[in-house]
Amino acid sequence: MPKYTRETLKNLLDGKLPFSEVKVMMSSFKDPERFEMMLEIHQSRVPWPEKILLPLGLHLYIVLKENGDRVVKCDCGYEFGDYRKNWKLNALVYVRDTEEKIAEIYPKLMGPDPRWMEIREYYCPGCSTQLEVESVPPGYPVIFDFKPDIDAFYEKWLGKPVPTVE
Amino acid sequence: MPHKAKILAIDAGGTMTDTFIIDEKGEFIVGKAQTTPHDESIGVANSSRDALKYWGMLPEEAFPTIISGIYSGTAMLNRLLERKGKRLGLIVTAGQEDYLRLERGIQTYLGYSYSDRLHVATHRHNEPLIPRERIRGVRERIDLFGDVIIPLYEDEVFQAVEELLDQEVEGICVNLLYSYRNPIHEVKVREIAEKVMEKKGVQVPLFLASELYPVRRDFPRLNTLLVEAYAAEPSRGQLERVQNKVNELGGRFNIRVMASHGGTIGIDAKKLAPTLVSGPIGGVIGGKYLAEKLGIKNVVCTDIGGTSFDLALITDGEFHIKSTPDIARFILNLPLVQIDSVGAGTGTFVRVNPTSNRIELGPDSAGYRIGVSNEQENLDAPTISDCNLVLGLLNPDFFLGGDIKLNKQRAIEVIDEKIAKPLGLNVYDAASGVVRLFEDSLKNQVVAMVLGKGYAPVNYTLLCYGGGGPLHVGGCTEGLDFEDVIIPTWAAGFSAFGCACADFEYRYDRTVDLPIGGIGQLDPMTVSVLLNAAWAELRQKVISQFEKSGIPEDQIKFRHAVRMQYQGQLNDLEFYTRTGEITKKEELDEIVEEFENLYGRIYARSAKSPELGYLVTTAIVTGTVPVEKPDLPNEPLAGPEPPAEAHKGTREVYWRGNWITADIYDMEKVKPGNVLKGLSIVEAPATTFVVPPDQEACLDQYRIFHLRKKVNKFDIGGI
Ligand SMILES: [Zn+2]
Repeated sequence: MPKYTRETLKNLLDGKLPFSEVKVMMSSFKDPERFEMMLEIHQSRVPWPEKILLPLGLHLYIVLKENGDRVVKCDCGYEFGDYRKNWKLNALVYVRDTEEKIAEIYPKLMGPDPRWMEIREYYCPGCSTQLEVESVPPGYPVIFDFKPDIDAFYEKWLGKPVPTVE
Repeated sequence: MPHKAKILAIDAGGTMTDTFIIDEKGEFIVGKAQTTPHDESIGVANSSRDALKYWGMLPEEAFPTIISGIYSGTAMLNRLLERKGKRLGLIVTAGQEDYLRLERGIQTYLGYSYSDRLHVATHRHNEPLIPRERIRGVRERIDLFGDVIIPLYEDEVFQAVEELLDQEVEGICVNLLYSYRNPIHEVKVREIAEKVMEKKGVQVPLFLASELYPVRRDFPRLNTLLVEAYAAEPSRGQLERVQNKVNELGGRFNIRVMASHGGTIGIDAKKLAPTLVSGPIGGVIGGKYLAEKLGIKNVVCTDIGGTSFDLALITDGEFHIKSTPDIARFILNLPLVQIDSVGAGTGTFVRVNPTSNRIELGPDSAGYRIGVSNEQENLDAPTISDCNLVLGLLNPDFFLGGDIKLNKQRAIEVIDEKIAKPLGLNVYDAASGVVRLFEDSLKNQVVAMVLGKGYAPVNYTLLCYGGGGPLHVGGCTEGLDFEDVIIPTWAAGFSAFGCACADFEYRYDRTVDLPIGGIGQLDPMTVSVLLNAAWAELRQKVISQFEKSGIPEDQIKFRHAVRMQYQGQLNDLEFYTRTGEITKKEELDEIVEEFENLYGRIYARSAKSPELGYLVTTAIVTGTVPVEKPDLPNEPLAGPEPPAEAHKGTREVYWRGNWITADIYDMEKVKPGNVLKGLSIVEAPATTFVVPPDQEACLDQYRIFHLRKKVNKFDIGGI
């Protein structure tokens, strides 16, 4: 079973490992300690005390609040609310739905036709970091990317109890 | 009696240079020395010296009698892998400048295991051999019929060449669309480039696709051209140094190099890229040579090495050729002896998948290392060899003739902990299960390949070699009715032996795309004239190559071949034609008929689709000059009973759930004519041959074992 040092996993997270090394990691069985170690690395990097239950994406985590709530939280500390609700509904959104707005980021004729497709950019109200982008037909519902079953993941996959407030 | 060295075969690998020297009686010696990358000739000399000490000779004494020398090496390949080739510039048709960055999708996962091929996150682009900054597009266009539809914008060529020279390129490659159809624009680019170079007072070599690789498929053609200019041509100096060293040591023969099509070529060959891909083909050439010598028509060549299982077919005395092989994650336009390679060898790691709780073999392997039983290697996953050791098939005190002592106890402990316990088995059943899984997967590959070519095992003789071949040949052929199963006693050195069996042969290919019948058909005699012209041009190329070695035309044996397909289909088939000059329509009909038969055999008769006509895609000419080849040993036959001194003793072996007492023999002392009944284990320093319980092995006068079902005394008349 492969085993990696915390240093290696930090470099992996930061995109600093050479591809050849990443390739070997991807092609091997998953190291059993990976989740635990990655969680510790994330936890050591955020400025707030709540325990991270699951990383949710770049800059976002599901954390355990003192009252037992599980909420989506940005690195900056901004909270988006219960993880079972789509955090995007509480984010700032910028919709590129005209030729001009699309021309800001794509060369002419290389972006989508706004009558068919619009680009929605979601930003953190706390730190204004771009958190997610979706490209959908106009009128399409906001995409709910991921609603994990945290209890099942901890108990059935990791084989340990899900963290709770003491 | 002193030995008279006759043939020298050199294999300069990444770390070690092996030398194989054969005398006139077929006896051979093998030497090893460190490869010396800065000047390979030093390693070659050292390696020869190491070999010749077995005959008590010095290179200076042995070299003068050698009449044939073959070299194969990995220097070019390493130059390519390490991206240490020439600084090149490239001129392409405008619009194609990003070819090397876009690649073909397949190049992002070539060489990957099946699971990684499905795992898109692992796919990755190659670093281009030429960065985008040194690639220039020039406007021009030739269409697929060879007609100029946009003339060459010559001023753009002037500018491109000037800029590339200003960027201090060491060579310029030119690859324009459809240049194999009509080279006029590439030729013009060369003229302009020569003018610019003269004006600037610099000289760099030019490489034109239409001249070196005039074949269809744009991207592999570009790759091949680049590999030639980037890695192959720069290695010519190394070959010359090896030749000089040979001469210095008193050798009076010209070194030849193994090429991808299965022949050897001179070191002054115009194209050297074909020598870069020749890695594992030696064994197949040896197989073809054995087939000739033994009068066998169809052979399945199987090579079980440390990291891979290679298999190839010889049908009607010929190996098969594939036209777009890949090497180092580049698809190339070169004829390569068709070998299927599976990442499973005796060094393959064995693990239990924690998710499915099943045994998994590889895909990675210990490479040249053995396994956990060799403690110095510090491996933590067991290998197939470790399993063989635990089962009693390998002798821990006689690995490489005893040079390496294996720790059986450690193998037992590691396999028990990592394989047996997680599966809930005892260690012997676990090891036995692993070996059966390994052998079954090899067997499936063999069957798939033979059936895929439209044959059944009964049509073929299976030849098994490589260090691990003789140990697993019984398991891999179990239940398959091969005509015969043969194992040369020199199985471990068979690839080197094979290299020494290669003809001196040049091969040239040219895309012709001549339609026969169907829509857009040409008059059959027009097709014939054009095909004749292509063959004649290729013959001329062969002649001029041999001329460089001072060989006159009348000594060359020419053979002509075509690649052909049904119009509209994608895959063409290659076969030799009876003639190289079609003079009447019947001869063309005969070629069509030959194609139909071949197609019907490989696919299915019902899949034939002549309605749309045929297309002769490629004209091919090979020219061969006879060279000295190794003689096979030929010893008098003794009786079936092996001599007492050949019997080394007995050993308990765990075989499919039972402990069985195996007879152990010394391979060198077994006499031709002897029959060894299973379960027997025949040991030689470089290999171990296992005769399964229900089988027996008979050694023939050429020192080749034949493995067959035990002869029942009641039906002995049938043999
Ligand atoms: Zn934020």
